[in-house]
Amino acid sequence: MTSLIVGVVLFNIIVSLLLSLAIVPILVWMERRVAGFIQDRLGPNRCNIGGVRLGGLIQSFADMLKLVFKEDYTPESIKEKFFFMIAPVIVFATAYLTFMVIPFADDLELGGKTFIMQALPIDLGILWFLAFAGLGVYGLIIGGWASNNKYSLLGGIRAAAQVISYEATMGLAIISILIVYGSVNLGDMVRYQGGLLFGFIPAWGIVMQPLAAILFIITAFAETNRAPFDIAEGESEIVGGFHTEYSAMKFGLFFVGEYVAMAASSAIIITLFFGGYQIPWVNTSTLKENFDIFLIFIAIVLPTLSFFFARWIKKNNTWPQKDDSRNKEAGWLIKALIIINILVILAVLVGLVFGIGHDGISMTVALVQLVTFIVKLFLMNFIFIWVRWTLPRFRYDQLQDLGWRILLPLAMANILITGLFVVVLGD
Amino acid sequence: MGIKIVPRHGNTFKEKLYLPAILGGMKVTFSHFIKNLVDTSNIKTVSYPEEEPEDITERYRGLHRLTKRDDGSIRCTACFLCATACPAECIFIEATEREDGIDEKMPAKFSIDLLECVFCGACVEACPCDAIRMDTGIFSIVKENREDFVLDKETLLSHEPFKGNKNDD
Repeated sequence: MTSLIVGVVLFNIIVSLLLSLAIVPILVWMERRVAGFIQDRLGPNRCNIGGVRLGGLIQSFADMLKLVFKEDYTPESIKEKFFFMIAPVIVFATAYLTFMVIPFADDLELGGKTFIMQALPIDLGILWFLAFAGLGVYGLIIGGWASNNKYSLLGGIRAAAQVISYEATMGLAIISILIVYGSVNLGDMVRYQGGLLFGFIPAWGIVMQPLAAILFIITAFAETNRAPFDIAEGESEIVGGFHTEYSAMKFGLFFVGEYVAMAASSAIIITLFFGGYQIPWVNTSTLKENFDIFLIFIAIVLPTLSFFFARWIKKNNTWPQKDDSRNKEAGWLIKALIIINILVILAVLVGLVFGIGHDGISMTVALVQLVTFIVKLFLMNFIFIWVRWTLPRFRYDQLQDLGWRILLPLAMANILITGLFVVVLGD
Repeated sequence: MGIKIVPRHGNTFKEKLYLPAILGGMKVTFSHFIKNLVDTSNIKTVSYPEEEPEDITERYRGLHRLTKRDDGSIRCTACFLCATACPAECIFIEATEREDGIDEKMPAKFSIDLLECVFCGACVEACPCDAIRMDTGIFSIVKENREDFVLDKETLLSHEPFKGNKNDD
């Protein structure tokens, strides 16, 4: 029994680690590739290991390797060496800890025991997120101040002012959805979103609280210092902002921390407003009851999607020189796809013929919900990237104007309206 | 004098909401993204150096070539006019006596250092025999070490004139 507990807890921690850390190279690759496609360019596509490019993903690993091996230079002018060193660690660690309370599957029932599927099985939920999201900006402020550089200090001050303005709105937006869900526990919120509104609309947060959703998404952009709110590092005005003096892996930690924060914000957005791990119209109990139908559905949909994906690979994964090893990659990828499909279909057949028992169904449902969560996470991250490559950066006064004079009153009005609704309807 | 009054934008409720304009912009970028994702050949990026640009014409001043006489022998008479005219001093000629009676002199060695060459075309202008031309249409010259950039006589003779881009018609 204890080994089971240890196994599930380890699984949770490893999944959270993968979702927050291993996602970074993928996000960097996504950012550069999506930017390329949006601007009618190709983006990174040359880096390869023995011909395997994975659409340019290898470039991210090469870049990270470069950052690790570069000289870690601390200028003479920096007096506060300890704070200079600790700043990127704060940014990175807080961004990473934010991820630890996100439930990525419904509570798992194994052998009569219930496991909460998050890395830290605590009930703090949204409070934990607020605490650590706010703490992350300390890294930027300390880094900006310790750099002993005017531009860095300006970047740090901008980051501080920005987070103070937007954290208020973010908290108020969260209050209005807390009124709807009636809980601070993220697991309870996602379970609530598994229900249906009027019998046919999924009761997702964005349907229940569209204004709070918009406000929260905008403030999440500001919180993670992403465009159009990335004035803290506005390179056209203040060189590199808070990370002007940083090099090598110290800069790398800032860089990675930004993407982890983006992933964590995406995770919290989909948990609060887009149903978390819930598949629309199919909540956990429906999934468990109609498990056989679901298996057949997978066995039909997966090969169909794989077929189109393979055709896309064959069409687009090419290289101008015919004798280059990069031309062989498409064939390998298609073979790998076919093997994955065969394995999944075999697993589905085994599950249909022999049955996999109560625990098996629980585990498979958790796995399916994990996959749903990951798909939603990437879609939300795509929106972050998409917005960055669409909108120009805000001017500093415009940013404060938007924060205090538009978003904050809207958030307050939203709380009032939501409260009135709840009181009048009496639920 | 008529004064043209330019209407100010940004005062209607829809414009003050900002979100419709932002969504409009996101629609534009998304349409570009999808178009390029579905078929990457829509992207005009040239994969240098594997791909040559598509807009090279016959008059493009590209890599050099040494022309041949009707019988296939080298046209150059090793008169050193090109090497003298060259502002970059990248042409290296060693003359030798020509034994086959067509002419008196020919180059034993004729090499061009492409790392020095500025592609000005002065050698082509200077040549009295029309023996050197820059009409191969070759745009990308990429090698892995410095020695490979010095083209010798045989390589220069093997280059063919550019016959117009096959994508032109």
